[in-house]
Amino acid sequence: MEGLLGGFATTLSLDNLFYCFVGVLLGTVVGILPGLGPLTTIAILLPITFKMDVTSAIIMLSGIYYGVAYGGTVTSVLMRIPGEASSVVTCLDGYEMARKGRAGAALGIAGIGSFFAGTVGVIGISFLSPPLAELVLKFGPAEYAMLMLAGLSMVTYMSNGSLPRALLMAAFGLLLGTIGADPLNMTPRLTFGIMALGDGVNLVPLAIGLFGISEVLFMARQKAEDMKVLPPPSRLLGFLPSREEARRSVGPIWRGTVMGFLVGLLPGGGAVLASFLSYGMERKLSKHPEEFGKGAVEGLAGPESANNAGTAGAFVPLLCMGIPANAVTALLLGAFIIHGVTPGPMILERQPEVFWGVVASMYIGNVMLLILNLPMIGLFVRILDIPRAYLTPMILAVCLIGVYSSNGNPADMVIAIVFGFVGYALRRFGFDLGIVILAYVLGPIFERSVRQALAISDGDPTIFFHSTLSTSFAIVAALLLIAGLWPKRLGSQP
Amino acid sequence: MTRLGGTRLVTLGLLLAAGVGLWQALRLDSWGFDGPGPGFFPQLMAGLCVALAIVVLVAPGRGGETEAGDTEEAASAPETNRSFAIYVVALGVLAVGATYAGFAVTVIAVTVLIMRFAERRSWLASLVYGVACAVAGLVCFGWLLRVDLPEGAIERQFYMLVR
Repeated sequence: MEGLLGGFATTLSLDNLFYCFVGVLLGTVVGILPGLGPLTTIAILLPITFKMDVTSAIIMLSGIYYGVAYGGTVTSVLMRIPGEASSVVTCLDGYEMARKGRAGAALGIAGIGSFFAGTVGVIGISFLSPPLAELVLKFGPAEYAMLMLAGLSMVTYMSNGSLPRALLMAAFGLLLGTIGADPLNMTPRLTFGIMALGDGVNLVPLAIGLFGISEVLFMARQKAEDMKVLPPPSRLLGFLPSREEARRSVGPIWRGTVMGFLVGLLPGGGAVLASFLSYGMERKLSKHPEEFGKGAVEGLAGPESANNAGTAGAFVPLLCMGIPANAVTALLLGAFIIHGVTPGPMILERQPEVFWGVVASMYIGNVMLLILNLPMIGLFVRILDIPRAYLTPMILAVCLIGVYSSNGNPADMVIAIVFGFVGYALRRFGFDLGIVILAYVLGPIFERSVRQALAISDGDPTIFFHSTLSTSFAIVAALLLIAGLWPKRLGSQP
Repeated sequence: MTRLGGTRLVTLGLLLAAGVGLWQALRLDSWGFDGPGPGFFPQLMAGLCVALAIVVLVAPGRGGETEAGDTEEAASAPETNRSFAIYVVALGVLAVGATYAGFAVTVIAVTVLIMRFAERRSWLASLVYGVACAVAGLVCFGWLLRVDLPEGAIERQFYMLVR
């Protein structure tokens, strides 16, 4: 409790409140703009945070992450266009409610559910993180290596493509992470004598290339389509659901919150999976499953709460174990490391102000989002009027600033552009780019753990099965890989 | 290009990259006196990458969802191809400009290229927007946030005035 109060003291400084506001505002805007997801935005803005205080930087970047879940709802409900992946399910019933003249109620339920779930999720982080961090302190290199293997297996299992493709992306990401100096003895590896690769492929040009520049290439190939926006209510009272709608929302919001938070804890989980699972669960529990897809309140309230709780839940493995649950938290992990903070069990002892500052900012960020989203929806929807001709040069200019400012090295821009084309080609043909960035960030930690474990055991690989914990993680990894060969995949249910 | 053909081509590219990586990794020590050497992990990963790329080449399997709006019809339209080609040229200008021309000139050149030639906006609108982007970047990032930007003559003059 003391730590949390200290966190509030940190967050309530004028600077941090400002960065929290900027983060949630940017997150909302990005969530509304189809195409520009949290990954692209965090990748582009990451270098700009280099000169900021670490707590302020993470508060702003986290704000973008959970703000996106709110913003994505608006376009899903009013236009049937998901601003980002976790809002896909919201399109099904949210848009149908809007077509029946209940756009305000749909946005109100989504906003209230998101606020509730986000807040409960943050409370979950506050109480779950300290005991989990203590448990993780008991891990040796073998346990860490197997935990990461299980995490990577989970992420490949959850991928929306076939298992071999997902595994290929994971191996590609891990291989990219080995370029540059050996983390243990600094021997240069896979540099091909190119000076620019001496320090490895840096996170910023890689992420900006894979997500920012590839996004611009995608925009260049898309047809400008006429978008039909259903009008949001002009008065604040218009967002209030009717008594019947409120009654029907309570159960799904609770269930979505609990389930979303638990799913968020899993590596590979997070907002997208949570929303899909919640939709499936609500449809199964409903007395009127035939209403789903035609404007069922439960089909909106459950997934909207789940995706926000999942976003919060994903912070637990990130902060306590240093293991990102998805690509966005992998970038946040990269941001922590760049700022000289190593998330993991020791963060609560060494940098409690960062940990609790971020947690407290999420409480405050959720309040800001509620205040921002309901009265200003009409204004936010206008962002969609920005034509591609004006958006793409702006994105490229920010990419240039981001890449160059990370190292002051123009060669990084070439690396970013090369990865832009790689990212474009991979995305165009259905390869999951999120896995690449996740594996790239985890790669050096995974490698260090594997090598340390093997060095301790004098090369005996059975060290990975000496403790119950590491054996359990290995079994989970194996089961997930076997299950991944099964044709019906969890992430493709509704 | 069909989706399947494209998948195989992309996988072939990955196979080549992983093959080159494996070739380089094999020149490193995989084991030293104190345990696994610097080549251990890259060899393992590059080998795995090669094996998986071969599997995907043989059986491409199911891909992820198609990107929104990236339909075959849109992708094959001549207008789209032309505009895509101009965007590719703009990226080339961005890379060269970052090295030699400085931030402002690069941003103006890229903006004009995209707006005038890919998006068919007027010269005036393209130039005005390009200058606006360059000025906004210089003022907000270069001056107020003190972010390092690629430096050319314009940036040096600007910093002399404001810093």
